[in-house]
Amino acid sequence: MKTIFTLAFSASLVALTQSSALAADATRGKQVYNKVGCYQCHGYEGQGANTGPRLAPEPMAVEGLSAFLRNAASTTMPPYSEKVLSDADVADIHAYLSTIKKPPAGKSIPLLNNP
Amino acid sequence: MSNDKPSVDRRKFLTAAAVSGAAAVSAPTGVGSAQAQGVAGFTKPPSAADMEAEIGQPVRIAATMKEEGGRPGSDFMVDVLRAMDIDYVATNPASSCRGLHESINNYAMNKKPELLTAMHEEIATAMAHGYAKVSGKPMGLLFHGTVGIQHAVMAFYNAWCDRAPMLVMSGNHGDAAHRAPGIPTTHAAQDPLAIARDFTKWDDQPGSLQASAESLMRACKIAMTPPYGPVCVSLDAHLQEGVANPSDKLRIPKFTRSAPPQGDSGAVKEAAQMLAAAQNPVIVVDRAARTHAFQGMLVQLAELLGAAVVDQLGRQNFPSRHPLNVTPRARGVIATADVIIGLELNDFWGIVNSYADVAEARQDKRAKADVRLVSINSRDLNLKANYQEFQRFQDVDVAIAADSEATMPALIEAVRAAMNGDMRAAAERRIASHAAATQKQSERFLNVDATYAWDASPISTARLSAELWNVIKDLDWALVSRDVRLSNWPHRIWNFDKPYQYIGDSGGAGQGYGMGAAIGAALAHREHGRFVVNLQGDGDLMYGPGAIWSAVHHKIPLLTVMHNNRAYHQEIMHVQRVGNWRDRGVDRAHIGTTIDNPHVDFATLAKSMGMEGIGPISDPKDLGAAFRRAVQIVKAGEPVLVDVVSQPR
Repeated sequence: MKTIFTLAFSASLVALTQSSALAADATRGKQVYNKVGCYQCHGYEGQGANTGPRLAPEPMAVEGLSAFLRNAASTTMPPYSEKVLSDADVADIHAYLSTIKKPPAGKSIPLLNNP
Repeated sequence: MSNDKPSVDRRKFLTAAAVSGAAAVSAPTGVGSAQAQGVAGFTKPPSAADMEAEIGQPVRIAATMKEEGGRPGSDFMVDVLRAMDIDYVATNPASSCRGLHESINNYAMNKKPELLTAMHEEIATAMAHGYAKVSGKPMGLLFHGTVGIQHAVMAFYNAWCDRAPMLVMSGNHGDAAHRAPGIPTTHAAQDPLAIARDFTKWDDQPGSLQASAESLMRACKIAMTPPYGPVCVSLDAHLQEGVANPSDKLRIPKFTRSAPPQGDSGAVKEAAQMLAAAQNPVIVVDRAARTHAFQGMLVQLAELLGAAVVDQLGRQNFPSRHPLNVTPRARGVIATADVIIGLELNDFWGIVNSYADVAEARQDKRAKADVRLVSINSRDLNLKANYQEFQRFQDVDVAIAADSEATMPALIEAVRAAMNGDMRAAAERRIASHAAATQKQSERFLNVDATYAWDASPISTARLSAELWNVIKDLDWALVSRDVRLSNWPHRIWNFDKPYQYIGDSGGAGQGYGMGAAIGAALAHREHGRFVVNLQGDGDLMYGPGAIWSAVHHKIPLLTVMHNNRAYHQEIMHVQRVGNWRDRGVDRAHIGTTIDNPHVDFATLAKSMGMEGIGPISDPKDLGAAFRRAVQIVKAGEPVLVDVVSQPR
């Protein structure tokens, strides 16, 4: 059973890598990100909160993201199967997260330098 | 705050009518005035017939005094409330309470106690809840029996869980042979406070005025003995509207608060020795600070031991920027602790164990297997069976059923006596280590974590908190709401160092607490001139938006900032989680959980009840100006609401 899962999971990763390389769509990825509720725990810009860690900017590799989504049972993260979030969706979400720019440095924001 | 001018004519009339009334009940037309004629010093009052002619309906002269010097029973009750130093009574008016209500209006002249008008008993109870945590004493509540108590009980449960004292007084018409048919009988009950008994400390239904004085006094005393909590007394309408005659020889008992229970000296010594010898001692603290003295004592204990402090934020227990405050990295600290002392914890099990809310829920031990545990907890003195707020049972090595604050001086002295030179040196090293980690963590919050989504719309909770801190940091401020739903950004950014700057949350997590509690807390802060901030959830406010009216009506200065994420957000995540467990996705998780389509316009809602409303604000660049304007309104003595459309957490 474990072998089957591993094989299937590996195949999924290959497919995901191929699809993300071909046609990842950041605009659609943002729509999917909101539609499937990623923002609920991670914020609309993936900034993270006490309900979920930061996802962006500089997101983890798409393969890692997919592995986490599919095998989230090891955390409190609800797992997203391919049935509810396709590999193409994951690639698009990753593309969206990759478009999020790095914020200004805290030292350059006066409000964050208040005593 | 209302300052009703006494009506001289009405006062004279009532007094005269009261003296005249002996025969009025049995002979309601005209006899009473004749009775009064022989009493020196009183003008002849209008007879029932005169009154009936004037107002066009049958009249009963209500206060029937059998003896010279007699007075309404509820006037006597007012004197009892004054003896207990009750300053305010929040109410939603009701027929079964009309006697006491009228006495507060016309005998007390609405001063000590002063009535606070609430739109719902749940709001009134939340007001008392917030007030108690700031003032350190109970507010009175005056509710209709049955339906009024039914409205209020969820808020009682919050107060019970949060250990907030309050004195609930309810009316009833217990005598079936004399009460009016129809609604008064529908609202009568044989055991009117049974519905609240599982989560109030004590209740009573006294049968006489003297018993009512003793009952109220006992109730107040119980409410104010740790663990604090709500108490209820049913004051039957016949007592309120009856007569206190001189021959009754009524006596108001002296109000003496019980000294809080202090820990057994042997157990305290054992705990101190355990802590002194620890390599990695940790103090976990929740609803421990009852007075302003506690925070200083906890600082003293922590610095003496070099102990990390994990603040569960039930009260203002420990300064947020203290080097030993390790709250944001609590899990790691707990995992390496060899001795943990819990002070007034509601959930010690949850501190040393973890629970993962996954498809097949997992429970694991978070602390080391050989960790030794000490508990000081007054809750152990007062548990009830039905509702499970006492959480999982956690076995400990030293259990002290006592009040933590009262025990603290003895514990500090015992720790000091137990520590030798090596232990003190080790404590110094721990302080240095924790301080370095805390400094690093603080820099990361400000320089890194807060910057993400800085310019986002909806507005990030970090940005909201930083903008708000910028306008209040130089004021004498206090936060009167929990900030966990803003990812604790205020506690990460603001400097909570004064013992009145924070009061924790609802306790029972029952919605509808926020605005009412903020109003009560702001009322208690008002006499000290403090600037009060309420971070208000949108879903919570919609349970009882009528609270806005009470803030305006009673002129309570308060800045309410809406954390308007347009959803019952916690519940979205729950539905989302289950949908994924079942492999059905989250496309429909918004159904039944979001508060949009339409969006609630909270600024307009506030304006509809006379409160200045600002917003909705979606662009973070507009926040600073909005907050500055709001500060000026609050400084002028008024409440104001700023609606901020925000990120979920």
